Amino acid sequence: MLLRLVLAVLTLFALQAALVALISAVRRRGSVYVTIVIVAFASAPLAVFADRLLFGRPLQPDGRLFLALTHLALGGFLFHFMTLPDRSVTLRILVELLLAPDRALSLGDLTARYGVRTMIGSRLAQLQDGRCLTIAADGAIALLPRGRSFGRAVTAGRRMFRITSAN
Amino acid sequence: MVTGPVIRLLLPVAGVAVFFALSWATVFVFQPRDPKRFFLGYALLLLLATALTYRALWPLDRIEDALGLACDLLLQLLACLTMWNAFYSVLWGFSGSLIYDLFNEPGLCHRDRLIRSYEGDGDLDRILARRLPNLVRGGWVDRHDRTLRLRPKGVVMAVGTLASFKVFSLGMGGGVK
Repeated sequence: MLLRLVLAVLTLFALQAALVALISAVRRRGSVYVTIVIVAFASAPLAVFADRLLFGRPLQPDGRLFLALTHLALGGFLFHFMTLPDRSVTLRILVELLLAPDRALSLGDLTARYGVRTMIGSRLAQLQDGRCLTIAADGAIALLPRGRSFGRAVTAGRRMFRITSAN
Repeated sequence: MVTGPVIRLLLPVAGVAVFFALSWATVFVFQPRDPKRFFLGYALLLLLATALTYRALWPLDRIEDALGLACDLLLQLLACLTMWNAFYSVLWGFSGSLIYDLFNEPGLCHRDRLIRSYEGDGDLDRILARRLPNLVRGGWVDRHDRTLRLRPKGVVMAVGTLASFKVFSLGMGGGVK
């Protein structure tokens, strides 16, 4: 029973990952996170009706509910996994070193390839796309209502956890 | 004994509530240098507690019961991971920090001034200064004077990351679009 269960979970995860990879390859400009959410919810009914395939017999209604929730949870894990390569500064630094001759870089070369200006420019552009702020032609930044809400939430969260120093 | 399927889903809800309370108390009171060790420990212990409680209440007689246990454990782990990720990514991470600075320091509401505040005056900018010591200490990278070299452990991680870039069409990652 345990082996069958593990195989079913791995199959559902692999299926979602494969679908996300396929769709991302076709929609290169789309958000991979949106793709993951759509794939998880759209394929959940398929997972439920694959009960006979996965477990060798039809599941009772409670089993189908658990199977659907398991499938959605696996989509959530894929979402979290994706934030690592997609967002992590540390992993990008490792990749830059991997791609460099002799897998070594001076601090200057690393900064030229992936430095603060590139990082901040890109993050500001993403926050602008997300309607959190606007950037005028002269570089002045103005927070929009969504950005102010985000700022309030981060400030409150840091106060709640007594975080005094971050990135 | 309660047997309704929805009742079984209350177990991960309770687990997640305890995880949040323990994590918050640990960070607020003790201010540990590396909170993720505590988060990991609490998450694993609470998964064990959920598994034991579930088995005591609902013996694994049918595949549906086993699936219910797997579902509970996965949902609880996912919720813990979401809190953990929110803590690091939103409260401590780069975009959250940018918004925090813009919200709390109006003087930084200009692209060049904001960038200069991150570049600083030292040898390393604020971003690298936080990460390089950890990469060196963790054995991922060697640093000699101003040169960084990838170590075997770092090669494995970098190859895996590069594979993810390709498989999921992520470009070069690192939060840069």
